[in-house]
Amino acid sequence: MTSPSKLYGQNSFGEVWGYAYAPQVSTRLKARLLRDAKGLRLVTEAGEELHAGAPSSRERISGGPCLMQFDDKWTFDTDDIDGVELLLGPADDGWISDLEHWHPRLFAFVALCLVGAVIIWKWGLDLLVAGAIALTPTVFVTSLDSGNLAAMDRILTDPTELSQADQTMVRNIFQKVTDHAPHAPYGEYRLEFRKADAMGPNAFALPGGTVVVTDALIKDFNDPDIIAGIIGHELAHVSERHSLQQLYRSLSAFMLISLMAGDVGPVLEDVLLEGSAIASLAYSREHEAEADVIGVKTSHAAGYDASALATFFETLSADYGEGGPEWMSTHPSHADRVETIKSLSAEQ
Amino acid sequence: MDTSDTFQVQFKGDAKTYFGIWIVNLLLTMVTLGIYSAWAKVRRKKYFAQNTTIDERRFDYHATGKQIFIGRLIVVGAYFVANILFAVAPIVGGIVFLVFLGLVPYLINRSLAFNARMTSFSGVRFGFNGSYWRAVLVFFVYPFLAIFTLYLALPFVSRATQKYVISRHRFGTSPFAFSSAIGPFYKAFLFAIGWMFGIMLLGAIVFGLPALMMEFFGASSAGQDPSLEAVIGFFIAYGVILVAILPAAYIYQAYLRNVVYAGTSLEGGHRFTSVVRPAKLLWIALSNAVVTACSWGLMHPWAAVRMARYLAASSYVTIEGSIDGIIGEEQEKLSALGDAFTDFEGIDVDFAI
Repeated sequence: MTSPSKLYGQNSFGEVWGYAYAPQVSTRLKARLLRDAKGLRLVTEAGEELHAGAPSSRERISGGPCLMQFDDKWTFDTDDIDGVELLLGPADDGWISDLEHWHPRLFAFVALCLVGAVIIWKWGLDLLVAGAIALTPTVFVTSLDSGNLAAMDRILTDPTELSQADQTMVRNIFQKVTDHAPHAPYGEYRLEFRKADAMGPNAFALPGGTVVVTDALIKDFNDPDIIAGIIGHELAHVSERHSLQQLYRSLSAFMLISLMAGDVGPVLEDVLLEGSAIASLAYSREHEAEADVIGVKTSHAAGYDASALATFFETLSADYGEGGPEWMSTHPSHADRVETIKSLSAEQ
Repeated sequence: MDTSDTFQVQFKGDAKTYFGIWIVNLLLTMVTLGIYSAWAKVRRKKYFAQNTTIDERRFDYHATGKQIFIGRLIVVGAYFVANILFAVAPIVGGIVFLVFLGLVPYLINRSLAFNARMTSFSGVRFGFNGSYWRAVLVFFVYPFLAIFTLYLALPFVSRATQKYVISRHRFGTSPFAFSSAIGPFYKAFLFAIGWMFGIMLLGAIVFGLPALMMEFFGASSAGQDPSLEAVIGFFIAYGVILVAILPAAYIYQAYLRNVVYAGTSLEGGHRFTSVVRPAKLLWIALSNAVVTACSWGLMHPWAAVRMARYLAASSYVTIEGSIDGIIGEEQEKLSALGDAFTDFEGIDVDFAI
């Protein structure tokens, strides 16, 4: 880029051949930009002068032609880049063009991009997620709860058929466990009973602090220690904001991949998106494991036998089996969880 | 003049130059936390447009990074506001969502118009004259109705979409036109479907897949570890489905492109020809993906240039008389709103180019 020609551009005589186009018409004229004793002019092949004086703008991207505009009238393009530099002097617009030239510097850029990709994957996403969570208004999260619950009541769940005595028992356990659970980030923890046969014995937490327990869970596992363990686990999902993290993480991973890569090509884009979906499953398993750890602590602190949760998973495995290979699952395998819970509760 | 000349479309880009543009785009996008991606898009599109020529006349892309950036800001802002509305007042949110659904055909039209307006050839801009209700028909109503024909009418939908998109484009003030018999559309459809079912059937017979799959899911729901053969069978099934579906998409695309080019004309009698071969297109696409993946993405510029070169070399334009003298239009102002919307939604308006 520092050829001596740049130094004596400006006023040298010479010419550059290219094509001129009149405004608003596709007609092409073979023409040359010429500097002679009469000054700088745009002249057609036939010798007709189209414009006298310098171009009003001059534009070029790497690997493209040099495009010139003459006062909103004629445009002129040429591939003779060196010729233009000789005639008009070096272009002044091009620090990005300079960066783009084939040069060992590009290897450094490749390295920087790879480092950048790793940084974004390891910390950038977490930062983005943390930022999004911090910006999320409490009312948004609590209304997620009521919205989801209403939606589930329409399609999935029925009102509970548990006896009043059972409900009171579970409420008492819930009260004791919440007293020892980590702080609830979006208002008080709430307990809901629902009959949901499609879900089997199950419990789940909504992001705002609502814990839903299915009738089947209380009927099949009528053991305060197990119920306390499960509630402790679900409360941990709420206090650690797991659902929001997963929601934001998948959103921002999608945004980042499509923004950064822009044009990775049709086949590969799908591969990347599928890959990030599988990666987010690993993330979900991590959350489950974390909730197990916190849940065991909470139920132990509330005075329950934390190892009962292990019994729960053992029974589940025996009755329902595993749900396919672990890497395809949102939850760690039952066997792993049983082992972790047993060793954790032994430590308490 | 009533002579006609046929020109092959030329793509003069090379992987080395595009690599520089691409890596700098990527780096600046990362450093600016994504903001630069709007300018990056402009640079990429300019590179590909300016290096594509017919009879040494160039294409060009004229959008500015600022335009695209503002369009994206508005779309992101709208998503954000809509989400909050949904959460705070679900009823208002629901109404907003319905209004938004109603806007989708309009936004698709705006996106097509923006991209046409920002592209020029031989110094004259393209244009697109959308119609809201036609867009509703070809993008939503027809595809929905096709479901009830068990998708057997899909080629008709495809033809209607192409006709809508192409015949509403113009080059300067000269309109494009599109007309084609339905036969070739069915040919493309049948070849693609035939490949898909043929491979699946072959896979099922050769590997005895259904039995293996049954065993796999039977074993895992009984809580036992599935046998090794069953696990291998699971992966083979995955592979067979991949080999059945992926090439089918390219076979369809290749035939569709050829059919659409053959049916397209520009006022003045200019005609178009595409001679893409499905096997070759598939080979380029697949080997591109493999090479790109194995090089951690670094060979992407090479792959992109290779594909552009093949598609250009497979395209011909027959000029009746001369392409000189086509008059351009006064330019209306257009925002990049629709463009940003289709960018984010990943909507690729099925425009067989």
